[in-house]
Amino acid sequence: MALNLNSRERVLRLFRREKIDYIPVFSGMGNITVHGLGKYGWKFAEIHTNARKMASMAASTYELFGFECAVVPFDLAVEAQALGSKANYYPHATEILYPTISEHPAEKVEDLNLQVPSDLSKAARIPLVCEALRLLKKEVGDKIVIGSHVLGPYTLAGQLLDLSRLAKAAFKKADLVGALLDKLANALIEIIRIYREAGADYITVREMGAGPDILSPRIFQFLIMPPLKRIFGAIDSPNVLHICGDTNDIIEQMAACGADALSVEKKNNVAETRRKLGPDALIFGELDAYNVLCLGKPDQVEKAVKEAIDAGVNAIWPGCDIWPAVPKENMEMLMSAARKYGKLG
Amino acid sequence: MATEERTKEILQGLYDAVVQFEEEDAAKWARIAVDEGVDPFEASMDGLAAGMIEVGEKYNRKEYFVPELLLCADALYAGLDILKPVIEASGRKSEVKGSIVLGVVEGDVHDIGKNLVKLMFEVAGWTVYDLGKDVPLDKFVEEQIRTDSDVVGISALMTTSMLAMPELIKKLRARNPNVRIMLGGAPLNPEVAQKYGADGYAKTAGTAVDEAMRLLKMLKEQEMKKK
Repeated sequence: MALNLNSRERVLRLFRREKIDYIPVFSGMGNITVHGLGKYGWKFAEIHTNARKMASMAASTYELFGFECAVVPFDLAVEAQALGSKANYYPHATEILYPTISEHPAEKVEDLNLQVPSDLSKAARIPLVCEALRLLKKEVGDKIVIGSHVLGPYTLAGQLLDLSRLAKAAFKKADLVGALLDKLANALIEIIRIYREAGADYITVREMGAGPDILSPRIFQFLIMPPLKRIFGAIDSPNVLHICGDTNDIIEQMAACGADALSVEKKNNVAETRRKLGPDALIFGELDAYNVLCLGKPDQVEKAVKEAIDAGVNAIWPGCDIWPAVPKENMEMLMSAARKYGKLG
Repeated sequence: MATEERTKEILQGLYDAVVQFEEEDAAKWARIAVDEGVDPFEASMDGLAAGMIEVGEKYNRKEYFVPELLLCADALYAGLDILKPVIEASGRKSEVKGSIVLGVVEGDVHDIGKNLVKLMFEVAGWTVYDLGKDVPLDKFVEEQIRTDSDVVGISALMTTSMLAMPELIKKLRARNPNVRIMLGGAPLNPEVAQKYGADGYAKTAGTAVDEAMRLLKMLKEQEMKKK
């Protein structure tokens, strides 16, 4: 009997490793577009600090193109702000500028006196993200999955400290950095719990600052893996670990962190990853979110979707946040190509 | 004056100190170079900078990663801090090759790559005007005009922030058609750099100075032709 699944059922069944009809197209990261912004007439800077706008924008890629999820927040500063960093939203900008950290609580790891608020659900923008999750759950939660994301402990540490000093300390003062990552893992476990309670169906942990373009596999093994393992051991399913770059050298270590699924980008050779991890591993990826999806022509998008499916992904995921200026035709081709090539027997 | 053999030994000491990121050794060999009368510019280029180029190769071969690169850069600076005043005192400053405005575009706060590029320009004797990170586009244009620099180097680590580059390049050219513009950063490649209208692209800090020299030469030839 043919399955007749809506997007929400399709993704949730995939995470449970049950039979599905088509390879879904969704993401654990940002996927809003200028077409969504245009629909509401909002500026990019204002959607990060208003729960209503955040929720409406998150749902807009589903509403406009059928993209099979809604994900909040759109930037990577939320957890760091809750732990003492300040962010710049670039309110003056007419073009798309993502918020960045403008002030750290400390520069060096030995100077950081980490203050974790006793109630993280009330800290900085976490209540705002929760409100957006509740709105999404109510408004589109029966049709699509609602996702949220946090940074991994090392990447988060890089939002709390000077990045160069942190990288050197990872090499020379590993015990100090390890102790910090452990504390950050605890805070992240709590933030994830709060997001899930507010309505997030799945969580993506983005440890992109610790990938093999930056840290050696040796440091990944002894410094980055233990806190990631602890996080995935402590949080509910479904969850995803995302690391960018050429992750083939650390893909087995990534798998050992214990997430339900791994997300990789174009630089990862998915066919090789599939060989290493076996047929049962859930691998999401590896669409080039900028060079193909944004700069490419629809036929290149179609080709990229087919290649990702042929290489063995279980879900079509852009390898990073979708760049908002993505052309309409490319989003439409992304969805139709996934249906054309992603039918499962 | 050190013998040729001793000079070689000192240059090797500087080179090894950078490659093995031994800050104290780099300072030690730099002092020896000065005490024994080795040309400080040669010590800096053929010792320290040569070491840093090998460090870049090790990064490409995945033997070194970002922490190692940064520690090597610290060692290089430890040596350069001692050699630079001597180079300046010796009047070699007149050999300064060119000047460059460097910065990371607005929306991007990642400056590790830019700082490594800056280091290579400093060691090669260029005058560097470093605007830092998260730099508004107009700031690049103003600084180029203010300093009359030959080259502007623009960096971005995030795909999301490199999108400002084409507009910035347009603005720079509108104000000064002669300026040479080079790009660098993880999401870029030669094709994108060309598409954006840049003159040059450097994949690594090690190749950035050579690329800038090529642009500078182009600029000089153009000026000669005009004359």
